[in-house]
Amino acid sequence: MLAFLVRRLLFVVFVAWGVTFATFFIANVVPIDPAIAALGDNAREEQIREFRERNGLNKPVWQQYFIYMGRLLSGDLGQSLRTQRPVVDDLREFFPATMELSISAFVLTLLIGIPAGIVAALNQNKTTDLTVRILALIAGATPVFFLAVILQYFLANRLDLLPVQGRLDGFLFPPPRVTGLGGLDALIDALRGGGRERWAVYLDSLRHLILPSIVLASFSAAILTRMTRATMLEVLSQDFVRTARAKGVSQRVLVFRHALKNAALPILTLAGSLLGGLLSGAVLTETIFSWPGVGRYITQAASSLDFPAVMGVTLLIGLVYALVNLVTDLLYAFLDPRIRYA
Amino acid sequence: MKVGSAKAVSDYVVQVSLPAGVSTGSFLSILTFNIGGVVDSATVQAQARNNDFGKGWLDNNSAGSGPFRLVRWDRGNQVLLEANPNARLKPKLQRIILREIKEPAVLRTALESGEIDIAEGLTPEALRALRSNSKFRVLTSDSLRLNYLGLNVKEGSPFANAKVREAVRWGINQAELVGGIIQGNGTAIQTIIPKGLLGYNGTMTYKYDPVRAKRLLAEAGLPNGFEFELVTSTGQCGGGIPCADIAAKLQADLAKAGIKANIKAIASAEALRIYRAQSHQAYLGGWSPDFPDPDGNATPMADFAARSLAWRNVWNDATAARMANQAALESNDAKRTALYKLLTDYMVKSGPFVMLYQPSIPLGISANVQGYVRNAQSQVRFENISKTQ
Repeated sequence: MLAFLVRRLLFVVFVAWGVTFATFFIANVVPIDPAIAALGDNAREEQIREFRERNGLNKPVWQQYFIYMGRLLSGDLGQSLRTQRPVVDDLREFFPATMELSISAFVLTLLIGIPAGIVAALNQNKTTDLTVRILALIAGATPVFFLAVILQYFLANRLDLLPVQGRLDGFLFPPPRVTGLGGLDALIDALRGGGRERWAVYLDSLRHLILPSIVLASFSAAILTRMTRATMLEVLSQDFVRTARAKGVSQRVLVFRHALKNAALPILTLAGSLLGGLLSGAVLTETIFSWPGVGRYITQAASSLDFPAVMGVTLLIGLVYALVNLVTDLLYAFLDPRIRYA
Repeated sequence: MKVGSAKAVSDYVVQVSLPAGVSTGSFLSILTFNIGGVVDSATVQAQARNNDFGKGWLDNNSAGSGPFRLVRWDRGNQVLLEANPNARLKPKLQRIILREIKEPAVLRTALESGEIDIAEGLTPEALRALRSNSKFRVLTSDSLRLNYLGLNVKEGSPFANAKVREAVRWGINQAELVGGIIQGNGTAIQTIIPKGLLGYNGTMTYKYDPVRAKRLLAEAGLPNGFEFELVTSTGQCGGGIPCADIAAKLQADLAKAGIKANIKAIASAEALRIYRAQSHQAYLGGWSPDFPDPDGNATPMADFAARSLAWRNVWNDATAARMANQAALESNDAKRTALYKLLTDYMVKSGPFVMLYQPSIPLGISANVQGYVRNAQSQVRFENISKTQ
């Protein structure tokens, strides 16, 4: 087990190196001058020269790469050309927002996808199954921006049930930053005391999380529903299930102890990659809901050719993806006693 | 200016000593610019790191005497300002929140649902809808930007001939451009200093006349017209309009005068690189002065030695450069205005630019907001804003 873990962690390091290597050279293949992109029309020649020097852009590409890697090893991702701040600081500011949104969307995905898939499988070809399948098809096929705008229009604008965008109502004062996860920070702040107003902030931050989470979760919940349904159907048609039924095992025990456990591996695999996908930046959802996460950050960085920022985000996403996969693999062993890592 | 050239004479008087050759007029104009402000030096110096004069600390704090102070800046999300207890000017509102909303449809929904009170960046359709809704009004704020065509006059270029440049000017239907594509979010202009700055010259010398344009081309030895490449950005030009749309309009107009423009729309940084390297034939873009003074346009556009716009278009004209330099240093406003009149009149005909329009910025505002005024430098006196419920 330990050997496996070490091997996989080394693999994560290799993935991270691959990501930096690829992004660095892709960034340098683009025939556009980041200095002009950053400084714009009015900059004088000497300002552009000074900018190139300060950011090491006038050195040969291989030399720039080694400087970059050297800094990276000491945890320095360089300075963003656009925000003029260390990329690490920017990520520290933007990544928690993405984490908050994607984790809540992921929880929603699990809460909807797995039960809906099970219910559909148990009622194969009946009205319930058909309804679930149609809903999953619609949710899977509706573009995120369309769903977002429709929900914003009806739930926020027309019915005034939920806020249109942002993380907190303008009338409320945001909680002091502890984790960067708005809801969690508000909860910590409320628990520390401060009375009703601080609890109102907490509730409001949860209200702001609902719409973007639903929108972000819709696609992954649809996929998970269909996957759970298909896997459950396959398991339910196997001999051991029939035998258990013949022995008089109750439906509940049959579904949860026998069938679901056997269907868990493919579901877990899919859930793992869905979480990776959610965390790797919900660009559209973040843009539509003005959610200040890395998705929006990398879009702005890419459009202004802010390569240090783009590379920083790509590396972070690569690491997150690799780690989520590692955790998924480790969970296999817990779920299936036949799997042992050596 | 060096550190130490400013000193406090009394509580409310600051004396600034300028180096020789610096125009007091320009200096006073620059003082109105909102990129700088007076801060409490003791407070800020106490936060200085690595000789940065406290600049790093000022990214997240304020130490001024203005009516509002910075409470918090959540990057990519919002800036929170609240009434400054140390200010002499007391604002009508206690808190101002500046939100970053990128998606125009969401911006509109946020304004209509009352989540925000003022919106910049709305689509023309949204503005139309707001105009007919009594709960909102649409304000148009000026800008100091100018959108123009830069013609490279280097040797061998058809634009090297002043008659060809004039033909281009007669060949563009500015009235249609501003009234149509720009959708009214801009004003036609033909001179190099925008409205709002000293020296603005509203003379409109050229009206759309393709026949006259053709005649000028014939006089220049190009009776069959000519072809050129028009470089522009794939992004937006002033007024929120894609530059490529404006280029297409110019292309259609010029075609009637026998001039064929081949549009090359590329990433704005790449378009700029081409322009800065003098590698374009014609460039469609915009220019905002570095500081709110006519010299922010006159020197870059008239003085080749400044290595700015005149240089990029390889236009080396000693008369224009002399006039621009003289006007920059003139401290008497009336004399300065007269000098800029001479310069702008001169450049309308002989310069390498075809000025197109001065964009304006439309804003959607909730009807219960009063006192919101935004000047051409995008400054708003927040302390004058009030809101009824």
